[in-house]
Amino acid sequence: MATNDTQNPETDGLHHVASADELEEGERIIADVEGREVAVFNSNGDLYALSNYCPHQGGPACEGLLSGTLEVDEDEDLVWSCEDEIVACPWHGWEFDVTDGRHTASDKYRLPTYDVREIDGELYVGL
Amino acid sequence: MSSTTQQADRIRSIDDLEVIVDTDFHLTERQEDIFPYLESPFDEMLNTQGGDDYGYLGRVYPAHGMVYSVTMGKADSETVRTADDIQKGKDLIEWDKAIATPTQNLYLGAVHHDDLAAALATAYNNWLLDEVIDTDNGVYGAAIVAPQKPVEAAEEVDRRADEDGIVAVMIPSGSVDPTLGNERYYPLYEACERAGLPIKMHNAGGTMMTRFPSTWKSMNRALPVHATSHNMMHQTNLADMITQGVPERFPDLEFVIQEAGLGWYPYFMRRMDHDYMGAKWDAPMLEKLPSEYLKDQFYLTSQPVEGADDPQYLNQITRLFEGEDNLMFSSDYPHFDFDNTDELLKILRSEFSSEEIQNIYGKTAERVYDFD
Ligand code: FES
Repeated sequence: MATNDTQNPETDGLHHVASADELEEGERIIADVEGREVAVFNSNGDLYALSNYCPHQGGPACEGLLSGTLEVDEDEDLVWSCEDEIVACPWHGWEFDVTDGRHTASDKYRLPTYDVREIDGELYVGL
Repeated sequence: MSSTTQQADRIRSIDDLEVIVDTDFHLTERQEDIFPYLESPFDEMLNTQGGDDYGYLGRVYPAHGMVYSVTMGKADSETVRTADDIQKGKDLIEWDKAIATPTQNLYLGAVHHDDLAAALATAYNNWLLDEVIDTDNGVYGAAIVAPQKPVEAAEEVDRRADEDGIVAVMIPSGSVDPTLGNERYYPLYEACERAGLPIKMHNAGGTMMTRFPSTWKSMNRALPVHATSHNMMHQTNLADMITQGVPERFPDLEFVIQEAGLGWYPYFMRRMDHDYMGAKWDAPMLEKLPSEYLKDQFYLTSQPVEGADDPQYLNQITRLFEGEDNLMFSSDYPHFDFDNTDELLKILRSEFSSEEIQNIYGKTAERVYDFD
């Protein structure tokens, strides 16, 4: 097969999702990547890609509220934290940390995360 | 029969099920649904044009003021008020048949205006029959009754008994006062029996707590109190202690839970974990699952052992809360219901190793109580 001159070695093996300016801070895009639903988040300016399939009962985990969560500080006072880093599955409210996919309450459950990159103003995901 | 045939018979997914019946499919009725069906004098008495969403009717029903995932926007709650809504739920759950259950009216029994409560029950049932029940599509319903007015409730059952699609009578049971053994409910029971309809009982978190303290008073015999109060009170205390982080704050402290039976305990562990998974924010002190605190810092004593005539049950229950580490023998002698020393042993020895039995019968207690 002839080599394709327009091929960019940087984006090899990656899947185009959207152009970067379509994804504002605090927003997300759900993309179909080779039959898998992948959510790309812009959380406080950083990009994260996670599976949209909830390990609880298969709900669309990444389509729920992106907000923070309640924690306690050293004095055991309630604090609101991780603003815009926690996505809650709309089905039963399980919370996942979008920065690493972990469930806030248990390491036993996590959303798979994927490589996500911005190249020349375009967003790509690697499975 | 070959193993291939046996495998083919196995149920792998819900697709292999012959029929799915959802026996508790909730409606989210609002006053705007119910008001058009109110009968005299309440339709004239109330402003039935006013209000939005739950509307002012919400003030007639008690509210418990707790914050839930839905309130915080962390979980969605679909509206189920129309045929389209029901279809959406049917498509998701994939039921063939469902019995519609109310939501706001789970609190009906806690409404303080008894006559209005009975009128609201009638109006809800009118709406249910008119707008919800659709037997061709598998949608059935339960006629709700107001337990505040048992005689009117019986009349309501008589009125609905032959309606197509009414397959049960629903008592909002979390708020009944007195409890449902009282003779005042007999007319209602007679009516249900006459109608050949089963009674659905459904609590709501908020309603139960409006009655819990007085429930003891309304049970005028010893048996129901003894059978339920030990484990109910333990569950209430433990749930609160764990949620507030008591074992997290005092990691060296151990607790011994006494005289409440065993079966509720594995249930309770799993119920707590189940709820916690969707509400980490409501117990932010916790570093691990509720069941892990229970396994690490809490112990059960054995007496009274329920189900001693059913070794399979008792062995499984004991395994389910890791009784080999968390159960300590007790007799409760000389109370009337004490257990003989070998009561438990006879059963457990078929399942547990000698080492585990040693634990249950003494080693664990030695560790917990540090006798020297
Ligand atoms: S399916 Fe996601 S929380 Fe239940």
